[in-house]
Amino acid sequence: MSAPLIALERVSRVYRMGEVEVPALDDVSLDIGTGEFVAIVGPSGSGKSTMMNILGCLDRPTHGAYHLAGSAVAELDDDALARLRSRTIGFVFQSYNLLPRTSALDNVATPLLYQGVGRGERMRRARAALERLGLGDRVSHEPSELSGGQQQRVAIARALVTEPALVLADEPTGNLDSHAGAEVMAVLRDLHDQGRTVVLITHDTDVAASADRQIHLRDGRVAA
Amino acid sequence: MSLPELLRLALSRLRTNRLRAALTMLGVIIGVASVVALVGVGQGTTSNITTALSSLGTNLLTISPTSTSSDGSTTLTLDDAEAIAALPGVADVAPEVSTSQNVTAGGETTTTTIIGTTSAYPIVRAYRVWQGSALTDVAVDHGLRVAVLGKTTADDLKLSASDIGSQIRIGGIDFTLAGILQPKGGAGFQNPDDQVLVPVSTVQKYFVGGDSVRTIGVSVATAGEMATTNARISALLRQRHDLAATADDDFQVFDQTQLLAAASTITGTLTLLLGGIASISLVVGGIGIMNIMLVSVRERTREIGIRKAIGARGSDILAQFLVEALTLSLLGGLLGVALGLGISALIARVAGWTFAFTPTTLAAAVISSLLVGVVFGVWPARQAARLDPIAALRYE
Repeated sequence: MSAPLIALERVSRVYRMGEVEVPALDDVSLDIGTGEFVAIVGPSGSGKSTMMNILGCLDRPTHGAYHLAGSAVAELDDDALARLRSRTIGFVFQSYNLLPRTSALDNVATPLLYQGVGRGERMRRARAALERLGLGDRVSHEPSELSGGQQQRVAIARALVTEPALVLADEPTGNLDSHAGAEVMAVLRDLHDQGRTVVLITHDTDVAASADRQIHLRDGRVAA
Repeated sequence: MSLPELLRLALSRLRTNRLRAALTMLGVIIGVASVVALVGVGQGTTSNITTALSSLGTNLLTISPTSTSSDGSTTLTLDDAEAIAALPGVADVAPEVSTSQNVTAGGETTTTTIIGTTSAYPIVRAYRVWQGSALTDVAVDHGLRVAVLGKTTADDLKLSASDIGSQIRIGGIDFTLAGILQPKGGAGFQNPDDQVLVPVSTVQKYFVGGDSVRTIGVSVATAGEMATTNARISALLRQRHDLAATADDDFQVFDQTQLLAAASTITGTLTLLLGGIASISLVVGGIGIMNIMLVSVRERTREIGIRKAIGARGSDILAQFLVEALTLSLLGGLLGVALGLGISALIARVAGWTFAFTPTTLAAAVISSLLVGVVFGVWPARQAARLDPIAALRYE
């Protein structure tokens, strides 16, 4: 088997609160291979969000090593982390996190802007990504003119437009009704079927059940 | 990110909040407009004064006595004037004797200055003849009763071109109107067009006794010879007046170029002062930009977090906010220049000056508005660039 896409080796993340050190992640080791559909499940306070930040290269581990697509994340500076995020990861957030007062097309095209892709090419690829998610007739709508499910699909289009190795979804159905939630899960399932690596972070065991593999977090550690 | 991309981002952002953008720009607009307008006023004044001074005569040295005795006689004489005329570097010499008299023509009477002088006067004092002729050497040599009128005096007496050759009365004595001078336009304390020129010998015969003169105007051949000629005249006069080596001069030589230099120093300082005061408002405008950019960074914390999560580097965020500040200040600067030019053109028209501005001023105004954008935009932009993406994403 080739090197896993994600390799966490004895990773800890310790927050310092005054004199007290709080370990949000405690000695976690796990591998996720290319093409897997994994759910990281745990109640609030289990270290899920910290895991999401570490996996998403928004934060660095305090101890241990994290390799993402061959890069040793702990050793990278902020700019290198930004480049790694830009090239490797597509984020889907619970609250969509679309740019306000910006059209769906421009929202989806923005990650390409930071990759230095020219405007014409950006627009073409952003439009294609929106069409793939069935939003071809919504390109010029702003987030406030879209339903929650539509906004989340725009966010998924934005995550996909850079063709990332990893799609990282943080409670993607948390703000949606069950129907829209099921739709979004179907889209993620679809991405997995097309061979993309999808990591889903959730507290909802029903949602987690749709993944192929579940990793349970409790008190900052991986439960069996 | 390339500059066009950054500009597109900045402009679309400013479009979504037009009123705020306009009000922020207003600070810079007012600042730049007042700099441009006030410097324009300063430069207008300068060129106005320079024109006025050079209309008095070019390369002009004016010699006047330092004291006048009780009978009105002075230490300067017509013989002094003749001696000066023989000096090297001297082009023309016009001695002046003056008196104030009633002048009557037809039914009109006015009181004005009668200047007794020679044919060189129009050359030395930069006058031109409008109608008729100037004083001739023949008239001066023979003390003829001819008069050349300034335009204002002629107008006061309702005399025009057709009256050349007619009789007027000066101090009760008949004179022939020989000519009328072209007006110079009034600037200064004395209207240069309200006077009557008559031969110096005539004035001495009828109005003022003695040989002394009020001033001697000297036209120097070239501007480069002003200082040496000045020195030669002083030396000559000291010798002619038998002054001891330790004695003070009993005359003074007044150099036109010194006055010009002094005047331009004063107006230059004035311009600098006006510009300085106006730049304060430009700084205030810059603080307005900084204020609004700081508010904007706070409001858009979440947007910054999103952008960082999807791949923006700190430098991308810095550039985005800096270009936004620069766009505000540059647009404000350009509008300010337009407004400032409009205002100074209006002031120039109302005050009757020539509308003066230099491209340097305009370039300086635009560049300083850009500088304001950089200086007051960098700090908010750095604040934005340094935000932690995790905290920024969580910000409500």
